[in-house]
Amino acid sequence: MLLNYSHPLEISNLTTWLDTTLRSSMPEFWVLFIEFALVIVALLTAYAVIALILIYAERKITAFFQARYGPNRVGKWGLLQSLADMIKILLKEIVKITRSDRFLFFAAPFFMIVASMATFGAIPFGKGLLAVDFNIGVLYVTAVSSVGIIGVLLAGWSSNNKYSMIGAMRSGAQFVSYELSAGFALMTIVVLAGTMQFSELIEGQRYCWNIFNGHISSIIAFVIYLISGHAETNRGPFDLPEAESELTAGYHTEYSGLQFGFYYLAEYLNMFIIASIATTVFLGGFLPIQVQGWDAFNGIMDFIPSYVWFFAKTAVLIFLSLWVRWSFPRLRIDQLLNLEWKYLLPINLVNIVVMVILVLTGLTLKDLFGII
Amino acid sequence: MSSITEYFSGLFTGIRSLMGGMSVTWKELWTKKVTQQYPENRDTLVISDRFRAELVMPHDENNEHACTSCGICQLNCPNGTINITSEMIETAEGKKKKILSKYSWDLGMCTFCNLCVITCPSDAIKFNNTFENAVFTRSKLIQTLNKEGSKLREKKKETLAPKGE
Amino acid sequence: MAEQIIFYVLAVIITVFSILAVTSKQIIRSATYLLFVLLGTAGLYLLLGFSYLFAVQIAVYAGGIMVIFIFAILLTNRPGENVKSELPIRRLVALVTSVAGLAFCGHIIYWNVKKVIQLPLMEELTPQKLGHIMMGTDKYQYLLPFEMISILLLACIVGAIMVARRR
Repeated sequence: MLLNYSHPLEISNLTTWLDTTLRSSMPEFWVLFIEFALVIVALLTAYAVIALILIYAERKITAFFQARYGPNRVGKWGLLQSLADMIKILLKEIVKITRSDRFLFFAAPFFMIVASMATFGAIPFGKGLLAVDFNIGVLYVTAVSSVGIIGVLLAGWSSNNKYSMIGAMRSGAQFVSYELSAGFALMTIVVLAGTMQFSELIEGQRYCWNIFNGHISSIIAFVIYLISGHAETNRGPFDLPEAESELTAGYHTEYSGLQFGFYYLAEYLNMFIIASIATTVFLGGFLPIQVQGWDAFNGIMDFIPSYVWFFAKTAVLIFLSLWVRWSFPRLRIDQLLNLEWKYLLPINLVNIVVMVILVLTGLTLKDLFGII
Repeated sequence: MSSITEYFSGLFTGIRSLMGGMSVTWKELWTKKVTQQYPENRDTLVISDRFRAELVMPHDENNEHACTSCGICQLNCPNGTINITSEMIETAEGKKKKILSKYSWDLGMCTFCNLCVITCPSDAIKFNNTFENAVFTRSKLIQTLNKEGSKLREKKKETLAPKGE
Repeated sequence: MAEQIIFYVLAVIITVFSILAVTSKQIIRSATYLLFVLLGTAGLYLLLGFSYLFAVQIAVYAGGIMVIFIFAILLTNRPGENVKSELPIRRLVALVTSVAGLAFCGHIIYWNVKKVIQLPLMEELTPQKLGHIMMGTDKYQYLLPFEMISILLLACIVGAIMVARRR
């Protein structure tokens, strides 16, 4: 079988080799210690590098949507632009605000970045590239990402600035509302797949992605998840917490240097996290496109490493997010809440019931066509 | 009943209009870039003739200008950027005449409002579009517009070639 | 050994932040310290292997209740500006009450520790199993209490709307 060929380009080869060599020469405790440290370093590096790439991609694609060139002076095609920005942001002075709550002011960015990193750690990037595999993976992701909003609220409070405060309040209201929709959309797929564990979710989508498996209901859930995920990250038409024409920069008005960098980084990484969770839950994660019965085709597709598939699918969703961001004008706060409470949430609740009926009556594509 | 149909028709028209918006931006994604990459494209750069960058006083081939040093431009300038120095001389016919000795203009103070050009009775000054005016000291921004040894164009030229009045 | 180290770290975090939460004069700081306590508790659940409880603890307490707390504090006008220290006699009463409560709870835990250890270790609690326990009608299954709680919450929501609508 072509499927069982070893894949020379998979990173899991490297990790298993590392594991066996370490285990042959030291006791269990130190092996685990070294591996944990390596995983942490790898994840932090990936976090920073992905943020840099995303910032560059965002600026370029934004420019293309506005018939501009975007950054093109630092390095070839401006490739080093975000690196230069990072160095500049690291060297900037951290301004101390008078009459602000100093402790909370310094603590707030960490809530944001820790929440986003903890979510980032649970994403399956490829075959064997899953740091933790909880049996409640989907719930874990929604739970941990909700801690970030506390960072926003505390930042707004401790800045001693009314713009920050209003921005934080708007952000809080928006996040709490849209988190509900995002959670329900993911639950729809949990009903379909019957599991919350990321590895099982992906394995179940080998020949039929969840978005096709539950046809109508899945597609509605997918669209709702993208909209509410987009709103949760405070981007695109939903960026009114930082609407610069009204609130200068919203909750991070008073931040500078590395602290602002944390918010900036977390914003971009949240976009990536939303896209990658959508990839994992709806689009088959790191699995290649495969059709049951076409073994030759599957073998060729399988030869492309799994992380390439993962990042390609995620990139498509990120592009979609940018496309939406540069298409629509910013919503008013009442329109924003109307969209959530009067449209997305009722549709979502009905959608879950429809999905339950589909699963119980055997009308999913897997049942209809006998796909494994 | 009507509110329910309103809800759903609103939902679907909303979705359709969002799709329309996205198709517009999709087309825009592939349009030609309009950015002018300035220092590289100096050779092909086109600046409109109407662009006001620098005040000049046109001189003809005989090193003659049309400024009678009447001072109307100086009076009209809202910022006081124009400073005219004139002197009285006696012509060959024994008439007293005011001639321009120095027409100085401060680029740093100018707001390019064009009032001086509009009010000039003899069309002696105009704005041109050479926009690369950056210098390193402010004193260099104060320019003298009349050239060395230039003099007023004689009136008779206009009588020789009258405009169709 | 690693588990013990993590346990002690979490215990210290929970204790220190609990004390800070009740002694801090600024209410928003108290709320933040309380959040750390709740996160530490979530860490304890994770250490015990109850990952479902861990996620629910974070989602409900950190993501839900703390956000409501902080929101409420942000909406108040200058919170904690006129806080005065309590009288010594009241402090003493509070101290005695809390020590008594601690002694009572400690006593119960101490006398039950042996029984807890003798209980067989529970196997991993999967969400599927939890769902069956919640939604089943057999012995040790909790459909009725679950529905009672949902009706209670519905009543709360309706009541809140009534209170909010009254002009």
